[in-house]
Amino acid sequence: MSAQTQAASRKAQWKEGALGYLFLAPSLLVFICFLFYPMLRSIYLSMTLTDPRGRVADFVGLDNFKDLFSSGQFFTNLKVTLLFVLLTVPTTIIWSLVLAALTHNKLRGMKAFQFVFSLPIVISVGTGSIIWSLLFHPTAGMLNYFIGFIGISPISWLADPNWALVSVSLMTVWMNMGFVYIVLLSGLQGVPDDLYESAKIDGSGPVRTFLQIVLPLLSPTLFFVLIVSVIGAFQAFGQIHILTKGGPMDTTNVVVYSIYQDAFINFRFGIGSAQALVLFAIILALTVFQFKVLEKKVHYQ
Amino acid sequence: MTQSWLNKKTAIGVMLAGAMLAATACGSGGAGDAPAAADKGGSKASSSGPTKVVFWHAMGGSNTKVVDQLVSDFNASQDKIKVEAVFQGTYDDLLSKLKATMGTKEGPSLVQMYEIGTRFMIDSKTTTPMQNFIDQDKYDLSQLEPNITGYYTINGKLNSMPFNTSNPILYYNKDLFKAAGLDPEKPPKTFEELQKAADAITKTGKATGANFAIYGWFMEQFFANQGAEYVNNGNGRTSPATESLVNSEAGVKTLTWWKNMVDTKAANNLGRKTDDSKKAFSAGQVGMILESTASLKGLVDNAQGKFEVGTGFLPKPEGAKEGGVVVGGASLWIMNNRPTDEQKAAWEFIKFLTSPKEQAYWHINTGYFPITKKAYDEQSVKDNLKKFPQFQTAIDQLHQTKLNTATQGAVMGVFPEARQIVEGAIEEALNNKKSPKDALDGAAKEITNKIQQYNKTVKQ
Amino acid sequence: MMLRRLNYTVLYIVLALLALMVLYPIIFTVFSAFMTEKEVSVFPPPLFPHHLYWGNFAKAVQTIPILRFLLNSLIVSAAIMACQAVTSAMAAYAFSFLQFKLKNAMFLLYLSTMMIPWEVTVIPNYLTIKSLGWMDSYQGLIVPFMAGAFGVFLLRQFFLQLPHELFDAAKIDGCGHLRTFFSIVLPLARPALSTLCVYVFLNHWNSYLWPLLITNKPTMRTVQIGVAMLQHEEVMAWNLILAGVSLVLLPSFLLLALGVKQLIQGITAGAVKG
Repeated sequence: MSAQTQAASRKAQWKEGALGYLFLAPSLLVFICFLFYPMLRSIYLSMTLTDPRGRVADFVGLDNFKDLFSSGQFFTNLKVTLLFVLLTVPTTIIWSLVLAALTHNKLRGMKAFQFVFSLPIVISVGTGSIIWSLLFHPTAGMLNYFIGFIGISPISWLADPNWALVSVSLMTVWMNMGFVYIVLLSGLQGVPDDLYESAKIDGSGPVRTFLQIVLPLLSPTLFFVLIVSVIGAFQAFGQIHILTKGGPMDTTNVVVYSIYQDAFINFRFGIGSAQALVLFAIILALTVFQFKVLEKKVHYQ
Repeated sequence: MTQSWLNKKTAIGVMLAGAMLAATACGSGGAGDAPAAADKGGSKASSSGPTKVVFWHAMGGSNTKVVDQLVSDFNASQDKIKVEAVFQGTYDDLLSKLKATMGTKEGPSLVQMYEIGTRFMIDSKTTTPMQNFIDQDKYDLSQLEPNITGYYTINGKLNSMPFNTSNPILYYNKDLFKAAGLDPEKPPKTFEELQKAADAITKTGKATGANFAIYGWFMEQFFANQGAEYVNNGNGRTSPATESLVNSEAGVKTLTWWKNMVDTKAANNLGRKTDDSKKAFSAGQVGMILESTASLKGLVDNAQGKFEVGTGFLPKPEGAKEGGVVVGGASLWIMNNRPTDEQKAAWEFIKFLTSPKEQAYWHINTGYFPITKKAYDEQSVKDNLKKFPQFQTAIDQLHQTKLNTATQGAVMGVFPEARQIVEGAIEEALNNKKSPKDALDGAAKEITNKIQQYNKTVKQ
Repeated sequence: MMLRRLNYTVLYIVLALLALMVLYPIIFTVFSAFMTEKEVSVFPPPLFPHHLYWGNFAKAVQTIPILRFLLNSLIVSAAIMACQAVTSAMAAYAFSFLQFKLKNAMFLLYLSTMMIPWEVTVIPNYLTIKSLGWMDSYQGLIVPFMAGAFGVFLLRQFFLQLPHELFDAAKIDGCGHLRTFFSIVLPLARPALSTLCVYVFLNHWNSYLWPLLITNKPTMRTVQIGVAMLQHEEVMAWNLILAGVSLVLLPSFLLLALGVKQLIQGITAGAVKG
C-alpha cells in the first residue's frame, strides 16, 4: 500500500469518525444536559440545606443522609414503598396471567374478551385516579354500595390507614393490567401449538400442561414484565398524589411521594435529593439482583 | 419503563465516567438561583395598551366563576388595567407554584395566599407590603373589619389585603335533631353538649351523630376558641415563634373529646377531605359537621327538600377561657419583582375589590364575609341574610370574637407543614395508634424541629 | 362432549364476570357522564342514565379548557416523538454502520442512561428549566425528552438486521453515508420507527409529574394535569367531572383502536429475545 492511499484511508477514517460523533451529537447533548449533569448536581444538592425558597443556604456534607437514616420516617416510607411493590407487582402479573391463559384459545368471542382485558392500557394515571377517587368515596362511592350487597359494612377506603394502601394498590393493578395482559398474551401466542397437542397425547391435563410446559417457555416474557413492573411500582406517583397525598398517617407515603413533598412543596432540595439517591441505589441493587439471580431461571429459546 | 432494557454488560463505572465527562461540559448554572431582582425590562404593556395584572388564586368550583365575574367587572370599569385571573388548584398547590416562580421572571403580580402562608410570604421578601400603598394613597383602613385586618397586621403593618375570610361553624341537621328528641332550635354550645347530641342521633340508627373532617384548621380554631396560643412568643406575633404548643392542655382536651366521640360511634372518621364530610351531611348520613361559613350556601341549597340546616357557634369545652375564632381564609399579596406600574395597577384592583358594592357581591355569591363594614348596608346583603338566616350565626361569631394574640391566630413560617403534621397526629389518635397526648407530643416535637430548621435558613 | 360444553359454559360465565369487573370503572365513567346532576346526587345512584344527557360535555368544555389541554398534550407528545425519532435514528445509524473511536464505550454509556430514574434527575432538571426561564413553555416540556436511549437501542437492533447486500450495493453506487441514511436506511426502518413513535407518544401523553411541576398557566397545562384539576370542581358534580374524564379518554381509545396492541407486541418481541 502506498503512502498516498494510506493517508487517504486515514483521512476517510477520520471523516467517518467525525460523522459518527456528528450523528451522536444531538442525543448526546440532551443526555449530558438532562441526565448526566443533573445526576451529578443531585449528588451536590444532597449535601446542602436550602432556604424556604429553594436556594442553597448551607453546605452540610452528609448531614442529610444522617438525618434520613436516623429518622424513622424514611424507613417507614421505604417500608410502604416495598409493601406497595409487593401488593401490586405479583398481583398484576398473576391476575393478568390467569386472564391471558383463559383467553388464549380459539373459541368464539375470545377477541372481544381480549379487547376488554387490554382496555385499561388507555387509562392514564390522571384519569384512572380521578375515576377511582369517586368509586372509593366513603359515603357515596359505588364500591361501598356493591360490597353492601354481600353484607360488608362500608369501608373508608382511602381514609382508613388499614385500607388506604390496599385501595391505591387495587387501582394501580387495574391501571397496569392492560399492558401486562397484552405482553403475556403475546408471549402465550408465541408458544407453538404442537406442544399442546403432544402434551395432550401424553395425557397431561390443561393445568399441568400450563404449569409444566407453557410456563417455562413463557419465562422470558414473565421476566421482562417483572422488571418493568418492579421499576414502575417503585416510581408510582400520580395515583398517590391524587388519591391520598401520602396519608392517612403516612400509610401511603411512598418514597417518591415523600421526595415530591420535600422538594417541591417544602423546597428542601437537599433532603429530597438525598432520598432520591438512596432510592436509586435500592432500585439499582434490586435490578442487578433480578438479573443475577432470577435470570438464571429464565429459559431463552 | 424506559429504564427497563438493562443490559447485563452495562457497567456502572462507564456510566459514572461518562457523567464526570458530561459535568465538565455542562457546568453552568450552579445550584439555587439568583435572588429575586426587580424585573426591569419586564412589562411590555407599559408603553401601549393597558397594564396587565396576572392574579393567581385558589378559588375552585363555583367560586372560580365569581372571581372571574369580579375581574371582568373591573376590566370593564376602566381601560388602563387588564386583570387576568388564573386558578391554580388548592391553597397548597398555589403556594408551591408561587415558590417555584420566585426568582424568575415568571409569576403573578397579585397572588392570593392562605392565612397560614403569611409568615413565609413576609420572610421570602418577595412582596411589597400593602401598607406602602395604603400610606401613599391615604387609604382609610377604618372602613375594614378590625377583626379581619387584625390577622394580617404584624408589627403594626398590614402586609396583605384580606380577601376571602371565613370561620368554621357548626352545621346541623334539624330533622335529625327532632328525630333524636333534641331541640332543633338549640345547637350544642360545648364539647359535652355536642357529644350528647351526637350520641342521641347515632342511637336513632338513622345517621351518625357528627363528622369532623381531619383538617388542621379546625384544631387551630379550637385552640383560639379556648383562648390558647398555638405557638410561643405571643403566637409568633411578638417575635418569630420557636416552639409549637400543640400538645398543651387545650389540644389534648380537644383531641381526647374528638377521639372519644369516634370511639363511641357518636362521630365517624371520613378522612381529611372536607368535601367528603359535606357530601355525607348533604346526604343526611351525619347529623352535624364543622365547616367554613363559606360553604353555607351550598349546604343549604343541597339540603333543600331533604332536611333543614341549622347553624351554631364553634363549640368549646365547658368552662374554657374566653376566646373566639381566628379569621381564616386568605389575603392578597403584591409581588415586588413586577414593575412599579404593574404593582400600582394591582393595588387599584384591590381597592376595587374592597369597595362595599363588590364586597356585597362577593359575600352573597361565595359566603365569605364582607371585609368592608359598609357592605352590610347594601340591600342585596340584607336580602341575602333574610334568605339564609343561618348566616347570622357566622357574623355574630366574628363580631363577638375579642382580639388577642390567641384569636389573631398563630404565625409561623412552616405553618402549611405544621398543619399537615397536626392532621397526621389526629389520624394517629383516632385510629388508636397513639394516645391523644402522645400523638400531639410527637407533632409538637416535629413542628418545633421544622420551625428551628426554618429559622436557621431564613435571615430575619 | 357434554362435559366439554359444560366446561365452555363455565368458562364463558367466568370470563364475562371478570370482564364486567375490569370494565366497570369505565362503564361507570361513561354512564355518569350522561347523567344529570340530580341523578348522580342520589345514593345509590342509578346504574344507567335515564336518557342520554349531553349537556355535561358542553359544560365541561366551558368550565375548563379541555380542548386546549388536549392540544397542548398533542403538541408536546408529537414534538417529543418527532425529535426522538430523529435523534434515535441518527445515533442508531452511527452505532450500526459507522466506525469511530470509543464506539463501544459510548454505546454502554447510552445504555446506562436507561438506569437513571427520574427521581434523581427531576430536581436538578427542574432547577435548570427554571433558570433558563423555560417554565410554562413548550420547550420546557419538550427539550429534556428530545432523546431517549430506548429508541437508540430499539433502532440499532433493527438496523443490524437489515441485509448487508443493500449497503454494499449502495457503496458501489458511490452513496455517501448521509445519502445511505436518508434514502436507504430510514425508509427501510419504517416499521421500527413507527413502533418507536407510538410508544414515545403514549408515554408522554400520559406523563404526569413533569408537566405538573413546570406548568402554571392554564393555557400551558397538559391534559393529565388538566384532568386532575377537575377534582377541585364542585363536590356534587360528578357528572361533570366524569364528562371531562370521558373527553380525555376519547383520543386514547382511538389509539387503542389504531393498534397499540400490535405495537406492544412488537416491542416485547424485541425485548425478550434480546
